[in-house]
Amino acid sequence: MSDIILSVENVAMDFDGFRAVGGEHGLSFNVNRGGFLGLIGPNGAGKSTTFNLISGVLKPTQGRVAMNGVELSSLKAAEIAGHGLGRTFQTPRAFPSLSVIDNVIVGSEHSEEGPLAALFGRWRPADVELHEKAEHALERVGLADRLHDSVANLSGGELRMLEVARQLNRDPSILLLDEPTAGVDPNLQVKLSEILVQLHADGTTLIVVEHNLAFLLNIADSVVVLQNGALLAEGDPDSIRHDPAVISAYLGADHET
Amino acid sequence: MTIYAIIIATLTFGAIFSVLTLSLNLQYARGGMINFGTVAYFAAGAYAYAIFTQEPPSGLDQYRFGFDMPWYVGFLAAGVASLLFALVTGWPTLRLRGEYLALTTFAFAEVFHSLLLNERRIGNGSVGLANVERPDPTTLGMSDTVGYALAAVVLMLVTAFVFNRLLKSPFGRTIDAVHDDEIAAQAVGKDDARIRLQVFIISAIPIGFAGALYAMITTLVAPAMFTAEVTFFVWIALVLAGEKTIVGAILGAMALVLFQELVKGVPFETVRGAQIAASVEEIVTGILFILVLRLRPWEKLSKRNAS
Ligand SMILES: Nc1ncnc2c1ncn2[C@@H]1O[C@H](COP(=O)(O)OP(=O)(O)OP(=O)(O)O)[C@@H](O)[C@H]1O
Ligand SMILES: [Mg+2]
Repeated sequence: MSDIILSVENVAMDFDGFRAVGGEHGLSFNVNRGGFLGLIGPNGAGKSTTFNLISGVLKPTQGRVAMNGVELSSLKAAEIAGHGLGRTFQTPRAFPSLSVIDNVIVGSEHSEEGPLAALFGRWRPADVELHEKAEHALERVGLADRLHDSVANLSGGELRMLEVARQLNRDPSILLLDEPTAGVDPNLQVKLSEILVQLHADGTTLIVVEHNLAFLLNIADSVVVLQNGALLAEGDPDSIRHDPAVISAYLGADHET
Repeated sequence: MTIYAIIIATLTFGAIFSVLTLSLNLQYARGGMINFGTVAYFAAGAYAYAIFTQEPPSGLDQYRFGFDMPWYVGFLAAGVASLLFALVTGWPTLRLRGEYLALTTFAFAEVFHSLLLNERRIGNGSVGLANVERPDPTTLGMSDTVGYALAAVVLMLVTAFVFNRLLKSPFGRTIDAVHDDEIAAQAVGKDDARIRLQVFIISAIPIGFAGALYAMITTLVAPAMFTAEVTFFVWIALVLAGEKTIVGAILGAMALVLFQELVKGVPFETVRGAQIAASVEEIVTGILFILVLRLRPWEKLSKRNAS
């Protein structure tokens, strides 16, 4: 029996009566600890909504999500993040009031973050350490020379990398990335794939949503395919590539991946 | 009124209202919360101070409580009272945004005002509590007015200093992040509801202290002193001088108080002249308030949240 870190059980999500995720019987799949799951499917299949359900941004209409055996439905998004889940968003989210480096540091678990520590100035030593760590995370995603820049000056691809750096910096045990290569130039995509392979080797559990299958299917070790909110197929990348149902619903007949 | 008296009055009341604009600056410009019930926290501080320092009721007194404590106990009690009031009003309402929060805080303040007015056991109802106890600055060799002007300026500076320290720390960074994008802040483990409540409560404490000082200076607390006009006044001051900076918050309050003192200070030949001046002042305040409504700070806010 393999060790399951995340289980999605009969989950459904309705928006005003429209079932975005779940199909008829609810969506179920498991993610192995240390696994690298690719989550794919056509536009509107419910991939991002599934991420929102796992990370607590949305609460499911039915079903449950459990992480390390802990049921997540009663937890707030911030608490789920505190349990070691990291995620990025399909539309990158940055904090415009903060510099690039502060955008990353603010995501750290800071031991001296409260108002009293602020009043008595106890936060400085801890902050120096966090600063170095955040710098390192930004180096990894190619933003080392933008530390003190305003995020307003970053391109779309750079914002995406900033968000990745903010999550990397937190050392999450499970990391969800929503279309991390969209709008990112080829050089950085290579860098990103190296980072993901490294995280995978270090034991981080990864779930990645991508339309760039050439990127994803080469590094993921299992795949879940969604269509209209329901599970269409599940398996290793090779079997997914050749699955007739997946080819007709999503890949197309002349795909090359 | 001499120029000297105008300067002292402007410093005293300008500094007291600056404490309020500084708190709103923290709540609104940094925390993204519109508090239209500011006066209630001010009143809570003033009443707490009066109740803690006054003698127990006797004779015709309708109020129930008087603890006869020294002024500094009353002063601390004022901060605590405002803090508790912020906790009680903030906890259920801070989920609301923009104009909804503005309306609810306004309603809370109105309820509190009517409670002070109608529940005579708190503070003698509309009569209020007179002869509020206070320390005597002349023991330090200062005149009364100079002593209290100094106290108000010190309270203002300490408030500005403390808020500045908070904002320049990791706590301030987190406040900004929550304000910028609460979903992204949650994704890195920041409990936005808790942070907002903390900001709301912290910024209420100095308002309570300012209320205590106001009670000492006027030696009276009565519901008529704590109407929504006070809230409008500090909002006008804040928006006038630009709600973004600490210096702006102070300058706005000082300028508006100076304007009022100048109008009061004009030597009128006739009662009619004074009446006209008083109504002009009200009209100008009204126009300024309309301007604030026209500028609609909360719309800027909701646009930021939506984008
Ligand atoms: N907040 C919402 N309110 C109403 N409908 C929504 C909401 N979020 C998503 N949907 C709908 O749910 C469906 C699934 O959306 P979702 O964003 O999860 O798809 P996706 O698989 O991520 O697609 P894409 O590849 O285009 O990103 C879509 O039909 C979408 O319109
Ligand atoms: Mg999506």
